[in-house]
Amino acid sequence: MRVLRRTLLSAIVALSACSAALPSSEVNLFAWTEYIPQEVIDGFTKETGIRVNYETFSSGEEMMAKMLSGSASYDVVQPPDYIAEALIQAGLLRKLETQRLPHLANILPEFLHMPHDPTQSYTVPYMTGTVGIVVNTRVVTEPIRGFKDVFQPSHAGRIVVLNDNREMVTWALYSLGLRANDLSPENIERTRPILAQWFKFVRVFDSDSPKTELLNGDVDLGVVWSGEAAILYQQDPKFHYIIPAEGVHEFVDVVAIPTQATHVAEAHEFIDYLLRAEVSKKISDAFPYTNPNGAARRLLSAAQLANPASYPPAGPRDTFRAIGKTSQQIDELVTDLKNSR
Amino acid sequence: MLTPMVLWLVLFAVLPMAILFVYSFCSRDDLGRIVFTFSLENYSRVFDPRYLHIMVRSFGYASATTAICLIMGYPTAYFMARRSEKIRERLLVLVMIPFWTSFLIRTYAWIQILKGSGLLNTVLGSTHLIAAPVEWLYTPAAVMIGLVYSFVPFMILPIFSSAEKLSNDLIEAAHDLGAGPLRVFTTVIIPLTAPGIAAGVVLVFVPTMGMFAVSDILGGAQVPLIGNVIQNQFLQARNWPFGAALGIVFTLLFAVSYGLLQRRPRWDRAASA
Amino acid sequence: MAGPIIPSRKRELLSPRLVDRLLAAWTTLVLVFLYLPIGVLVVYSFNSSRLNIVWEGFTLKWYAALWDNGPLLGALQNSLVVAAVTTAVSLVIGTVGAWLLYRYQFAGHRLIHALVSTPIIMPEIIIGISLLSFFSTIAMPLGFTTVIIAHVTFCFPFVLIAVQARLQGLDPALEEAALDLGASPLRAFWHVILPSLRPALIAGGLMAFTLSLDELVVTFFTASARSATLPLRIYGMAKIGLNPMLNALSTILVAVTVAAILFSAQLRQLFRGASGGPR
Repeated sequence: MRVLRRTLLSAIVALSACSAALPSSEVNLFAWTEYIPQEVIDGFTKETGIRVNYETFSSGEEMMAKMLSGSASYDVVQPPDYIAEALIQAGLLRKLETQRLPHLANILPEFLHMPHDPTQSYTVPYMTGTVGIVVNTRVVTEPIRGFKDVFQPSHAGRIVVLNDNREMVTWALYSLGLRANDLSPENIERTRPILAQWFKFVRVFDSDSPKTELLNGDVDLGVVWSGEAAILYQQDPKFHYIIPAEGVHEFVDVVAIPTQATHVAEAHEFIDYLLRAEVSKKISDAFPYTNPNGAARRLLSAAQLANPASYPPAGPRDTFRAIGKTSQQIDELVTDLKNSR
Repeated sequence: MLTPMVLWLVLFAVLPMAILFVYSFCSRDDLGRIVFTFSLENYSRVFDPRYLHIMVRSFGYASATTAICLIMGYPTAYFMARRSEKIRERLLVLVMIPFWTSFLIRTYAWIQILKGSGLLNTVLGSTHLIAAPVEWLYTPAAVMIGLVYSFVPFMILPIFSSAEKLSNDLIEAAHDLGAGPLRVFTTVIIPLTAPGIAAGVVLVFVPTMGMFAVSDILGGAQVPLIGNVIQNQFLQARNWPFGAALGIVFTLLFAVSYGLLQRRPRWDRAASA
Repeated sequence: MAGPIIPSRKRELLSPRLVDRLLAAWTTLVLVFLYLPIGVLVVYSFNSSRLNIVWEGFTLKWYAALWDNGPLLGALQNSLVVAAVTTAVSLVIGTVGAWLLYRYQFAGHRLIHALVSTPIIMPEIIIGISLLSFFSTIAMPLGFTTVIIAHVTFCFPFVLIAVQARLQGLDPALEEAALDLGASPLRAFWHVILPSLRPALIAGGLMAFTLSLDELVVTFFTASARSATLPLRIYGMAKIGLNPMLNALSTILVAVTVAAILFSAQLRQLFRGASGGPR
């Protein structure tokens, strides 16, 4: 018994010792799960010899939580725009040394100097997209132009929406003629009756994989991430993607270097690698979102560029701004509404 | 008596909870970081009717799940315990093996079974038991199926462990004394397996109360359970203090109920006297 | 000489044989229920559609793809290592703890009992968050150690409960006899009590192993990239669609385990025969 225990203890010590003895050339990446293709990571390591430790998160808020808990230090992080804005305000992101990022020139001008990083000193856009309407046109034959057309009694029980409280409130704001960041307490309250009405028609709330329900035919239309809609379109062109007429939220996922980063040179190398046209193309191949890299877009196939979800028509867009504690009111509103279904 | 167990628990259960307890009196800043100013705001929020409503709903799901697991699991565990030694252990492992596959994949497999064009509807339709496909998915029924599925082994194992030591002699003796099978069951078997039943009930009820993934995936995230609310605080809402308060109240509730349960009459002692 | 006395129970509606048959049928139904999604999972491991939402066609390519998938296999290895260590440590702590609680009445008995129940009554997410807070407070980096600590913390109470349930029906005369024959309490425990606890140890150990292997929530908060377990990786992949490769992995796991228990009897015979022992 004692021998067993001793062996176990030494095993545990050995294991933790292994994890502590790391080679010196590496970069600690903290990114969305499966958002950076393995082949891109392997390609980087092969070319530079720098090892990539890829740690993942499944939501922007989770990312914040883990970063703020301070029990790990990351060199490259991949926050959504509004989280990046909050991080910059809190002084948690390091200013980028742009001379180390020659391929930054590949990024299209409309994705630079965005509201979350107006001086363009802390972040580099990785992938962008929109949150819009996807419709199975084989079942839903009437034209759908915006949120009002989606949430109709005729579609009751056949709708899927993202399980994201802020998103849902934003759509309601749009239908009231307001903008995405008009999040005063009064405006949020004004969305209550609208959402109460909408929720009656929703069958599934799913932020992870709404394409599942759509492909299975358990729902016919919904409000989803453009990437999901793009994948659906690739599976079957019957899935159309529509930018809502009332207004649309555009999200920009960025990469940045935290102030606590320890491998700053390697971090810059990695980010520059991601900005290369052929590497960025590989990312687009895996994730059909909207690529902000102009040089990469020129390498894409006609089919990829024709995907209405990946490259929708241009128009006015809103990105999310950091909202701090307002999220509490939004949370409670949605909880109330779901509670009383 | 400082056994390794007590030391372990103090370090990794009590101290962490103490930290959460401190957090629960704090608030969060705009960034979601913890601000160490004393406040009772979180606790007053916990007792808001909307969260109490959610607790009651979760309690309902958990009770139903436990009851169904008991009905499904008890006869199975009893049967397994009465087999020969070789078969017993094999059956035990057989019951556990499905749970060595990933929870997510199993739950998505249920989607395949329960979806509109899925296995269940196909089978029911081909045997003409239903006229049109039934919408099983994204309903409370689907959530129940998922919850029961996840926790049946936790009911089976402790009852099995308890039933295994039932000696045949006792049962034979009861039979010989003229007791019918029902009486034997209620006066001999149930009391002797009571510790197993109690353990099984706890092992199913408590985790079910804290579940959130099943209702998200199979229930379409339509109705919030307390597990969803707590998870939301730590992940999306980034309100750790409120989440901590919810967690503490939740744990206390169980602690109190568990304590009360411990005072129940000890059937087993009476039975073996 | 008259024929055998026919016991009166044969004339009852619920003869023990009928009850046994009914129980067997019930157990079969439960096992079918348990393995239904497993069957679906196995079938879908051959699905040619990468999204694995709708069946498209038959292929073996995912099994082949598994061999090349370093990260996934690495995660599997991590899971197995963590589960094995967790089970071992949980068995030790849980069994010793249950025995001491049962055997010795000491001050604070009630308190310790309550203490032991804490991991059971805490929701997983609270265990995860509290441990994350604890580890960051004492500035301990996340890794294998923290994951194992977390797993053991919520696994060992299951071992404890299983052993306790068994101990409560144990004949105290057993230990007394051993002590009377001159054995020390430790020897009495090791040679007399422990063997009689075997079913509870197997049940508890099995439960601990299973819990650890498929653990997501607590691991989520206490793991690092290096020590990522399989459930963690799979959870991450859910967003882009659960690749049939994951089904293939699970299928292999199930197949190997089922084969192991089916052939364990043969293996045991083999060892007994080789060692030339009796029976």
